[in-house]
Amino acid sequence: MRRLLILVLFLVGLGFALANFPGLAQQGEFDSIIINFREDLPKTEIRDKIQFLSTKYDQEINLNSVFSIEDNIYILRGDKQLIKTLRKSPLKQLTEYIEPNYIYNILEVPNDPDYSKQWNLRSINVEQAWDETKGEGVIVAVIDTGVSRVPDLQQTEFVPGYDFVNNRTQVNDDVGHGTHVAGTIAQSTNNNYGVAGIAYQAKIMPIKVLGTGGGTVADIAEGIRFAADNGAQVINMSLGGGGESQLMAEAINYAYDKGVVIVAAAGNANQNAAAYPARYPKVIGVSALDAAGNRAEYSNFGAGVDIAAPGGGKEDKILQNTIDPTTGKSVFVGYQGTSMAAPHVAGVAAMLKSIGVEDPGEILNILKQSARKVDSDPLNEYGAGQLDAGAAVKLALRGKLSFRDFFRWVRDNGYLNPRFWIDGGAVALLPKIAMMLGSYLLAWLLRYYFPFGWSWSLSNGLIFGSSGLFLLKGFYIFDLPQWPFRVMGSSLAELGNAIGGTPELNPLFASVLIPFLLIGLLSGIPSGKRFAIGCTLGMTVALAVTAFSSPHLWLLGSGAIAQGFLIVNALLCFGLAYLASQGEPKTL
Amino acid sequence: MSIKVTGTIIYQNLGVGTWALVTPEQETYELKDPPTPLRQSGLKATLEGIIRDDIMTVAMIGPVLEIKSFRID
Repeated sequence: MRRLLILVLFLVGLGFALANFPGLAQQGEFDSIIINFREDLPKTEIRDKIQFLSTKYDQEINLNSVFSIEDNIYILRGDKQLIKTLRKSPLKQLTEYIEPNYIYNILEVPNDPDYSKQWNLRSINVEQAWDETKGEGVIVAVIDTGVSRVPDLQQTEFVPGYDFVNNRTQVNDDVGHGTHVAGTIAQSTNNNYGVAGIAYQAKIMPIKVLGTGGGTVADIAEGIRFAADNGAQVINMSLGGGGESQLMAEAINYAYDKGVVIVAAAGNANQNAAAYPARYPKVIGVSALDAAGNRAEYSNFGAGVDIAAPGGGKEDKILQNTIDPTTGKSVFVGYQGTSMAAPHVAGVAAMLKSIGVEDPGEILNILKQSARKVDSDPLNEYGAGQLDAGAAVKLALRGKLSFRDFFRWVRDNGYLNPRFWIDGGAVALLPKIAMMLGSYLLAWLLRYYFPFGWSWSLSNGLIFGSSGLFLLKGFYIFDLPQWPFRVMGSSLAELGNAIGGTPELNPLFASVLIPFLLIGLLSGIPSGKRFAIGCTLGMTVALAVTAFSSPHLWLLGSGAIAQGFLIVNALLCFGLAYLASQGEPKTL
Repeated sequence: MSIKVTGTIIYQNLGVGTWALVTPEQETYELKDPPTPLRQSGLKATLEGIIRDDIMTVAMIGPVLEIKSFRID
């Protein structure tokens, strides 16, 4: 049944991917165009042309930089349409090329000038998580002393909250705590100002329940219900104390049942057991780490601690923008406490929500599983370990098809090569892309459903089995025989006909026979076995795609018999891979 | 419930910071809105007041003591 399900999923996925694949070359973003004029043209002619283009498109056209003078590289604002027009115009004759001026992106490092002081963000590996999500659109309720819209929260989105202390909709902070906490979650980032926040495209819902002297359990419980009723998906409570309260427990259950992730600080009494509300089972209790990754000296530990996050110590505090309560003015100040640790977890929870993990129980599981384990922790000082945003997001994305994941897979497996998409035209490109996509989908299924680790040898096997390094097939070098390239560029199924260069597949090669022999021969060596399994799965895809795209077989013809032969062998290959993969150690 | 505790006043620099009383047995009480004369680190004092079980705070350093009367020792 499970096998059938996987097969159906695979076929649906393959069809979907084929129908929707837009082509990698179309993915780049650009808003300007490079025009490279021929170097043999007189400068006056180039100047005339530039003048003409400037007038025609009503813009100034400049050299890319002073270093472009010799090469005659000019930049013109424009889109895909304009490129088409230019390439068809007589201008084409005067240029070496006209191409999109693609915008390159590197791993996210925000431009906030004091980002370098935020050791805490690097220690939770947030840059890796930013590569996938910034918490887009997720509403995080900050149940605290209120949140003032300090300068470094100006670009952060807010949704209406409530002030339960003064009973009004205006929710300003008169203590400086809630604003600081909101900053850790979603400080305006990449705004060339101040510091960064974790899920900086999330929305803050400010809820004030505390004044300078704390706040009542009744107000806090109402704050929780308000948040749940008004669309909050994550609640952060950097507060604690008091005893068990039925009212509070009910509010927490109410929010949890609505799918809200509730995070609370473990408390700062350096005592065994977290404070309320972190103690409640449906609340994620967060202990604090210092900059060295040890439990901060003030942090509570023991029962009720689910995970640890940076809270800072005397020397290394958590820096955010907040207000000075004595003057009400904006300040950048470092605080320490489990109050500072909880919003790190709330921010990462928002990231997980934004990539589609809804259930608060599942979010806790992901946070725990992805946390960096602390080897010896007899007092439960760290819960599941130290928060790791990058690993959490990665773990959450496992099992989700996304373009980024596909792209990475393609890149990591050597399919991405500047010449690839040009020379690929020399061989039948579409079926090859289908095979590559198919083996990606299979690889994806493997990571998710199959019980063994994802490894280099397996992916190499997949490539070899499905498509080969087909780029090589387009190579023709003077005076050299082409067949070695053809062979290297062939998939397993094509080997039988690659030397002769015939289009018909050899049924001996395009069958379950070679995978069967490979698995038999290599099953003794772990990496060899994975390579064999990879080949077998790749062959599954290659045969399945060929069965529907071009079922030409030597001796069997091109009709239903050939197609049937290929399908049956594809199924046999799949079954063989499945059987061979049983008993492989499972890794996460 | 009304209690009487003796100890040293300290300023705990956690979060936005808070005033606390630490007893010789190292028990820490968070002081709720302490009067100005008590806002002095190192002061020995005896406080009488009630423990506010219905209150949560950002300091989270221990039971919250609402002071009814005090004596500086």
